[in-house]
Amino acid sequence: MSSELTNLSITEASKKLAAKEISAVDLARACKAEADAKNPELNAYLEVFDDVEAQAYDADAKRVQGDAGELLGIPLGVKDNILIKGKHASAASKMLENYVATYDSTAISKLKHEGAVFIGRTNMDEFALGGSTENSAFGVTKNPHDTSRVAGGTSGGSAAAVAAEMALGALGSDTGGSVRNPASFCGVVGLKPTYGAVSRFGLIAAVSSFDQIGPITKTVSDAELVFNAIKGVDPLDSTSCTHAQRTNEVLQKKIGVPRTLLASGVDAGVLAAFEKTLEQLKGQGYEIVDIEIPSVSLGLAAYYIINFAEVSSNVSRFDGVRYGLSKKGDSLAGDYAKSRAEGFGPETRRRIMLGAYVLSAGYYDAYYGKAGAARAQLTREVQDILHTVGAIAMPTMPTPAFKIGEKEDPVAMYAADLFTVTANLTGNPAISVPMGDVDGLPIGIQFTAAHGDEAALFRVGKDVLGEY
Amino acid sequence: MISKEDILKLAELSRIELKEEEIEPLQKDISNILEYVNQVSSIEGTVEKEVGLTHNVMREDIPYTEGSALKGAREDVAAAFPVQKNGYNVVRKIIQKDE
Repeated sequence: MSSELTNLSITEASKKLAAKEISAVDLARACKAEADAKNPELNAYLEVFDDVEAQAYDADAKRVQGDAGELLGIPLGVKDNILIKGKHASAASKMLENYVATYDSTAISKLKHEGAVFIGRTNMDEFALGGSTENSAFGVTKNPHDTSRVAGGTSGGSAAAVAAEMALGALGSDTGGSVRNPASFCGVVGLKPTYGAVSRFGLIAAVSSFDQIGPITKTVSDAELVFNAIKGVDPLDSTSCTHAQRTNEVLQKKIGVPRTLLASGVDAGVLAAFEKTLEQLKGQGYEIVDIEIPSVSLGLAAYYIINFAEVSSNVSRFDGVRYGLSKKGDSLAGDYAKSRAEGFGPETRRRIMLGAYVLSAGYYDAYYGKAGAARAQLTREVQDILHTVGAIAMPTMPTPAFKIGEKEDPVAMYAADLFTVTANLTGNPAISVPMGDVDGLPIGIQFTAAHGDEAALFRVGKDVLGEY
Repeated sequence: MISKEDILKLAELSRIELKEEEIEPLQKDISNILEYVNQVSSIEGTVEKEVGLTHNVMREDIPYTEGSALKGAREDVAAAFPVQKNGYNVVRKIIQKDE
């Protein structure tokens, strides 16, 4: 079930709003109706805000007064780790279940300035730790294409909300693939910007040197629109920065494929769809060449070591003293121990302990030191490759969405990140674009470009989806 | 396999209370994960001084101004305290009289 309003893209809705064919209130009500009908089953939203119509009403009022931005009145979902002042933000965790944000994240401020409407906060793996939204403290999000399967993660709620038309677009966050993975599994577009392109102010930190907020949308043009609205250097985030724009036109039509990486462990249906998409791109004037990224598997191990270390440090702030779940033990140490034992789920607790291990004296060099070297090596390899091609292409995920409960072993879950973590380690921008399906289950193709070259991703993504 | 003592030590460092029945599964999972990530040991050398994407940023030494993101935040922040009194965070007493 969908409506004429909820199956619009942001770009289409924007035109209709500008032409006064529809109102923001119409759009908001339509999205809310879809959420009322579908969310009880899908669990994409942890909360639909009670002021959605009021926000939409304000957007319509602004339009009457002459405002005309492309995102004015557009209904969006917001991942539960992105702060909206006065709204709950729990990072899908018991630790922050009752926490109310005390400020707007910069991405949200910018979208508020544009007059966007926030439908609700979307489900995720707790503290952005996972790959399927199964680690949420408030239940998994089901894949709208097959409710026995995961929607992906950690931004599963955002991807499911867009795929099921409960919003026209959504914000997610990507630490190791968390925007691209659910985009692939749910058949929508997901962009991880260049590290530093979008401010992390107001994003609950997972891995500070990997995290980026990114748009999840139905089309590449929509992703570009949202990205342009939320990007920018922010004095409140010292890691935000701009990157020089690339202008090499010869490279623009050249795509590199790391064949060796795809030789095993990838579903046959995914590979077939990938080859078919490459053929389509050839027909559109692209040259496809073989490349090698020797350090990719090493990169996955390095990714997890850095993840454990930085996550462990970042969640040490949750001690029940200034905010969050607060339980009393026999002593101060006991207060911390109880609050954290009850506030954190199993995956979070595991990663905190693993972080403590890899950062402890005697192990620091062996794990974290080595991981840093692997990261630097991988970054150099990717930078070198992107001097010879304009983008690197591979499937986003090795398989379509798996069944809920299928991956019980943490290591099996980590292994599925093989294609996505590179872009987080190196800071390069990457996009997942739908490339058909395997037995009705969507799958995505991922493109990675040079730092600051989101334009390359939008170009090739639009070509894949025929958006010109 | 990581020892029970090491798991308990990690739990202490992490300030997380573990139930007895959680220890053995954690030994198993953590050992498997460490074995998996140990692949990095095959790389030569350690972290070098690399020129990263980011660089030091300093702001001007002027107080926050009207309309800044954090104005009015004091009351909101105090509202999040588990127990508050007159805008103060009520916490456990940790310094005893004769110290």
